[in-house]
Amino acid sequence: MARATRFSSRIDVVIFGACVLLSLVATVLPAKLREPAASILRRSLVAPLLRLQQGAERWRAAYQSSEREELRRDTLALAAARVPTLETENERLRKVLGLASGMKWGFIPAEALSGRGRAEDFTVTLSAGSNAGVRERSLVVAPEGVVGLVQTVDPTMSLAILFAHPDFRVSAMSADGSAFGIVQPHVTSSSTTQEQAFMRSERYLLEMRGVPFRAALKAGAVVYSSGLGGIYPKGIPVGVVLGEIKTPESWARTYILRPAVNPAELSAVMILTPARAAAGLASVWADVGAVDSATRSIVIAGDSMARRSAALEAAARRAAIDSAARILRDSMGRDTARAEAAAPAPAIDPAVAAARARARRDSAVARARRDSIRRVQADTVSQPIPGTPPTPPPLTRR
Amino acid sequence: MNWGATVRTIILCSVLIFLHYTLRPLLNWKASADFLIIALLLASVRVRPGVAALFGFVLGIASDSLALGAFGAGALAMTIIGFSWSRLKAVFFADHVLLNGFFLFLGKWAYEILMNLVDRRLSGAELVMQILVYSSLSAAVTAVAGVLALMLLRPVLETRAA
Repeated sequence: MARATRFSSRIDVVIFGACVLLSLVATVLPAKLREPAASILRRSLVAPLLRLQQGAERWRAAYQSSEREELRRDTLALAAARVPTLETENERLRKVLGLASGMKWGFIPAEALSGRGRAEDFTVTLSAGSNAGVRERSLVVAPEGVVGLVQTVDPTMSLAILFAHPDFRVSAMSADGSAFGIVQPHVTSSSTTQEQAFMRSERYLLEMRGVPFRAALKAGAVVYSSGLGGIYPKGIPVGVVLGEIKTPESWARTYILRPAVNPAELSAVMILTPARAAAGLASVWADVGAVDSATRSIVIAGDSMARRSAALEAAARRAAIDSAARILRDSMGRDTARAEAAAPAPAIDPAVAAARARARRDSAVARARRDSIRRVQADTVSQPIPGTPPTPPPLTRR
Repeated sequence: MNWGATVRTIILCSVLIFLHYTLRPLLNWKASADFLIIALLLASVRVRPGVAALFGFVLGIASDSLALGAFGAGALAMTIIGFSWSRLKAVFFADHVLLNGFFLFLGKWAYEILMNLVDRRLSGAELVMQILVYSSLSAAVTAVAGVLALMLLRPVLETRAA
């Protein structure tokens, strides 16, 4: 028993020694012998294990790829969600550019930072201050019209009251100068909570008071600053008439106005220097619409040139296909005539017929698309901008 | 060792080798568990020292065939580990999870040290850093994975009688 145990123990040691020896030999093998040995192992013993590993790697790659795809989809969805905002901002900046080119001098561009506090409903913080040349009682305007008046000026920022502030007053007139009045916020008193809620929805409306009875304004009429009073120069849009309201003042009419500027969309504004306000702004708002329209026309023209070149390219491709089909048809016709002179009528190859039908269909679709693009462009160019005076015809029209 | 125990050991080793070539690439951790070492250590306490050395040599040379720079190093390390653990099988008789984990940690760490010494690619501070930080981290992960495998495969396992 003891001898058997000793024997098997000796065998264990021999095997161990052999394995160690083989391992040591493997470590000192020259490269040209090592590689064939490893290759034999890889092709025999390790091959099924390698296949397993390959499968696992593929699974991991697929999982990572699906994660990347998901991320890409989310990014695209996020970008798509931002498109309307960017379009609105682009439109607004284009209008501001139009206003700046109309004013030419004497203005300070600023960003309007609306407050979220309850006390900040009627004020707006502007990102320009006395360092940029802003002074107290400077007029704040937007491409749409009057915004308010600067009240407090710091070196790097300033605070302005909006047109909805209870202290806001501006002398105004109708576009043809037939009706004059004083525009002020539409402030109403209410007793119940429901009424208060309703009034909150009306707090940004304006009233035009003191309009003589002989001058009636229709709903939709644009009201401009009249220049009387010395602060607001003549010709800045203040609002649009919504309708007449009854007041205790029986000697004059009072109209409710929708402000030209929507405070919720207020972002980029212009602060007018006193010298610019004194010089007058009569023609600026008449030109803003024209400049905006011209910019839009240039953009549309660029788009239409790209579309036209694409259409030309498609037409050339279609012509090449038609020509190839014609050649094929002719050669087939010749072959048929030669081979079968007695046939009553040559049968049209279904492939050629299908190609012809497809070409006809493509041509009709392309024609319809061209017409629709022309219609859309014509509509877009001639569409009036709400809240602005009628614009002259754009520079280019297609 | 009877036939039943042999079959169980083969199944255990097959499962662990399978995990080494499937779970490890899937997880792709920086310090991943070495299921080959776990298989070797768990098999070593169930077979004779000579068989354990041979098993270690086969596992090592198979894994070395994929890493030409260290051809033979893994085989040498696994042969020594397998033979030594089979000789020291008494310590595994204590069926305590933490003790098993500790010895798995020691086994993997010893393997890493041997590999690094035989491989001779690192030296000086780099070698010390490798042995003390990355090798010990890898040994710890292997010990945790080994303990989990032991707990999951407990029905299959049967310790050889002394």
